[in-house]
Amino acid sequence: MFAVTTLIAVSFSIGSFRIAEAEKPFLYAVLLWIILVFSALSGLSRSFVKEEEAGTMDVLRLSARPRAVFLGKLFFNLTLLGALELIIVPLFILVMKYKIEFPGFFAAMLISAGLGLGAGTTIVAAMIAQASARGALFSALSFPLLLPLMITAIKGCERAAVGIDTAGWPEVRIAIAYVVIMVVMSLFLFPLIWEE
Amino acid sequence: MIYKVFLTIWMAVILVAAFLYTEAATGFPGETSRILFFHVPQAWVATLSFLLSMIASCVYLARRNVKADDLALSAAELGFLFCVLATVTGSIFAKASWGSFWNWDPRETSIVILLMIYGAYFALRSAVADPEKKRVFAGVYAILAFLTVPFLVFVIPRITASLHPEDTMNPANPGMDPKTLKVFLGSLLAYTALFVWMLRLRMRILRIEGNRIEGFRD
Amino acid sequence: MYSLKLSKVRKYYSRTLLFDGISFELYPGEVLAISGWNGSGKSTLLRIIAGLVQPSAGQVEMFFRDEPIQRESRRRFLGMVAPALSLYEELTALENMEFFCRVRGVSYDRGNCLNIMGRVGLTEHAHKICRNYSSGMKQRLKLVQALLHKPPLLLLDEPGCNLDTKGMKIVENIVSDQRQFGITVIASNEKREVDYANRVINLSERSHSNLAA
Repeated sequence: MFAVTTLIAVSFSIGSFRIAEAEKPFLYAVLLWIILVFSALSGLSRSFVKEEEAGTMDVLRLSARPRAVFLGKLFFNLTLLGALELIIVPLFILVMKYKIEFPGFFAAMLISAGLGLGAGTTIVAAMIAQASARGALFSALSFPLLLPLMITAIKGCERAAVGIDTAGWPEVRIAIAYVVIMVVMSLFLFPLIWEE
Repeated sequence: MIYKVFLTIWMAVILVAAFLYTEAATGFPGETSRILFFHVPQAWVATLSFLLSMIASCVYLARRNVKADDLALSAAELGFLFCVLATVTGSIFAKASWGSFWNWDPRETSIVILLMIYGAYFALRSAVADPEKKRVFAGVYAILAFLTVPFLVFVIPRITASLHPEDTMNPANPGMDPKTLKVFLGSLLAYTALFVWMLRLRMRILRIEGNRIEGFRD
Repeated sequence: MYSLKLSKVRKYYSRTLLFDGISFELYPGEVLAISGWNGSGKSTLLRIIAGLVQPSAGQVEMFFRDEPIQRESRRRFLGMVAPALSLYEELTALENMEFFCRVRGVSYDRGNCLNIMGRVGLTEHAHKICRNYSSGMKQRLKLVQALLHKPPLLLLDEPGCNLDTKGMKIVENIVSDQRQFGITVIASNEKREVDYANRVINLSERSHSNLAA
């Protein structure tokens, strides 16, 4: 909902004619990722905050294996992100008349960076659910961790839209490395924050 | 005590030498190149303390030793202080040399991210009431934040070319003036020693605060 | 043969000392009651025993035939009921039980679940969504959740809250059943519940004596 509202606001105020043709690939990539990241930050912490608010977090801690909980929440968040991208990206392309020269690379970038968004924020969500001032804290903690991923994704989407130098999909590889490191380290660190 | 006196004298010597003994490097407006003796050591200490904080966090998570967490927190606090100093001095230099306080040069970008990480770290610590939980969360976050560093190194330089002077001000460069090099290394050492002194002081304060709470029951 | 051992457990919360020097050993058949004023740390002590909260100092250990049980696997041996622990409101009672069996890795036995639910008088409500339960029914269901895997260590935090006299009787039966094979720790100020116990720790009196000493 937040995502669609932002998208409408952006397309309404900017439109597809304000931006010069040469600037489009870069600025559109920036806009798209700002919409995606901020709508993700507004929703992803729910996975753990909901458990804490319902009082079910502790029962879960008493009965379930920590890594199983983490993987469950991670897949839930990834599903959410997949749905978000499925709705927002086609709408964005349609409304902004976003021309993409290399759709395969573009899609791979969206998928890998989407995975990265989930991988980087799930463990943070587990921490902030047990803290005060959750909403603000979630964005404050997640944003520095997501910044390298966001920069990579913007660069990659721009490259895919322009369609030059796409050999090897360098940004996709960086994003995948990010996903792997974040998931492995989260699996390692999650039991520590879960069993406190 | 001796350490403190010695450090004071040494820093005074470096300060005088930085302005009187060395000559301003060519290619910079006026005397601005003298920033080298202050700005670079500050940035170095900021980086060092980030690294130290991360290592101490790992030790805390493995051993659950409160002292390790005190070290992680003290290092983070001092790192934040030196980070701000480096940002401010760098910004003044940027205005004098490149015409604007802020240019989103790669190093400026990375120091902003570092400031954000420190901010998030302190926010997290203040938002968790249970002391044991707070320490663990802070440690976990420090490690996660540190993990993003290799990506930043990899990602950021590709966006914009650096405006940072590399040749005349790089101590690894053989072309550096020997006088400058001497004072620069002296200053680096002075700043590191200052950092160690402040770190120990901060840790002592944390320990005394901890003892005072422990003493509550007596 | 299980046993529970606490040695010199201490806990601070936001820089205030809740309690200190809590030490005891419990063996199967024993029932310990923890009492004390509101805010004296009864619930926190129970949560420390459960492993939900870390003590600031001291140790909590569980043993099986004198072999220590690892912290990670302790959850298999304990069941807990507390006001702050809730079940999933979106699910029916039976679905909740199935979920908790599955995440615990216990095979889900519908008959056994219905049997335990019968013991707390919930049989005819087994297929109702928990959101529509009364608070007393929720409390009974929580008791079922804690008993599903027959834990040798049962932690009850105000087990009688929201329960009527019939419900109180159920708690009494549960405690006396538990006494046959396991350890029970009850945190409560209700005289009736404290009376189930063969040992009592009063946190309020302890902290007063600590302050005076």
